[in-house]
Amino acid sequence: MITIAEKINATIPSVKKIIETRDRGKLLELARTQSKAGADYLDVNVGTGTGSRQDEIDSMRWAVTMIQEEVETPLCIDSADPDVLAAGLAARDGRPALINSTKGSDEHLNKVVPLAREYGQPLVGLAMDEEGIPATVTARVAACSKIVSTCAENRVGMDNVFFDPLVLPVSTDVKQGLVTLETIRALKEQFQKAHIVMAVSNVSFGLPERRIFNTAFLHMAIFAGLDTAILDVLNPDLMGAIKTAEAIMGRDRHCRKYARFWRNR
Amino acid sequence: METQELLDRIAINVVQGRVEAEDEGFDEGFENQPAVIELVEEALENGISPSDILIKGLTSSMTVVGEKFETGEYLIPDMLASAEAVGAGMDILTPHLLKAGIESKGKFVIATVSGDLHDIGKNIVAIMLKGAGYEVVDLGVDVPASRIIETVKKHNAPYLGLSALLTTTMRNMDEVIDGLKEAGLRNQTKVCIGGAPTSQDFADQIGADKHCNDAFAVLDWLKAAA
Repeated sequence: MITIAEKINATIPSVKKIIETRDRGKLLELARTQSKAGADYLDVNVGTGTGSRQDEIDSMRWAVTMIQEEVETPLCIDSADPDVLAAGLAARDGRPALINSTKGSDEHLNKVVPLAREYGQPLVGLAMDEEGIPATVTARVAACSKIVSTCAENRVGMDNVFFDPLVLPVSTDVKQGLVTLETIRALKEQFQKAHIVMAVSNVSFGLPERRIFNTAFLHMAIFAGLDTAILDVLNPDLMGAIKTAEAIMGRDRHCRKYARFWRNR
Repeated sequence: METQELLDRIAINVVQGRVEAEDEGFDEGFENQPAVIELVEEALENGISPSDILIKGLTSSMTVVGEKFETGEYLIPDMLASAEAVGAGMDILTPHLLKAGIESKGKFVIATVSGDLHDIGKNIVAIMLKGAGYEVVDLGVDVPASRIIETVKKHNAPYLGLSALLTTTMRNMDEVIDGLKEAGLRNQTKVCIGGAPTSQDFADQIGADKHCNDAFAVLDWLKAAA
């Protein structure tokens, strides 16, 4: 499993403050602790929701430069704005990065996919179209098929694509857990070389005992074909759940990683 | 690499449970370093005697593994990994040992008795015995008493190990021991038994020589019996 650490995200109020005040020390602390916890990528989302587009571009440049000076872990450059993605990619100094993300809509695809080609870096493709997040499996797979076509035109290989099936809270629509799981399965079947990535915690929004809900969902998703997770890498329940799933799926010879994880805690 | 260093490295890799270079060990940071297969081959190329590789490299370190298992530091998969590493080394060494005229420590017939399909513990014992230099004849699971007795007879085996994990099937060990007596083999074949429901009391009751809790107990018993 590939893990993407979620905490450098300016929608979290404390992180928003770090970005706005250019607090290098606290930014690096977030980067270091998540890197040490075993993250394969550090997500960097600097969209504070209040500044201008130029503010977000400047913030992305700053954050990417600061983190990469001190931490080896590759970054997952995260923005809904292609220009912010471009700024982050340009600032990353030739190091590997994951582009997060494009939707399955023409306008977005035509700006983001060329970035993946230009910089030779993988990208996340969201299973959504112009109208938003589709309610059905078929429509989510259709949005991904559109991403596949644009990638083919731009000669971006499927092994460089991470599909995000998207997750809506089960508390507001009880069918949504299954829609995501079946989307994962369908995507894995149709596009075998592509990765599947998902943010785990959204599914349990509005429900009690979220950690139990999240780990159960994570396990089912891994069985369905999920190979990358955006999550709180500092949460031992979730990281332990990943090790558990890897062992059960037969990908952890002699259960070495599973046993070592608990031994080292 | 010097002889002693090579043998030490083999021993370390047995404890780490690493068969080949790509294996990760019990501890972190071993990946892509030569493991048992590569090191045993290098040792042979360097002209180290097969019996030194066997005794000083492969099997001596299983004592360490046994201790770690007993204290709970090692879990079943860790022990299996180490046993696997010894087995892989043995596979390379066996033809050389035969050529050098080194005899095995004796034939050991092992089986899970009739009606019982459990084999994890039996397999661990089999691998460890192989690593310790015994010639193991593993009959598998659900083996009828008649076949066990035939095999002991055919190989003239001095040792027999019986496994059962159920209270209902452990009774079938009785039949094997009686059969050995009838065939006149009981005096030349030492019998140990194992499996969760069995005990020394039960071994005494059916006339087996020894009850063993795990593979290390079997090795201790054999050492004492030799």
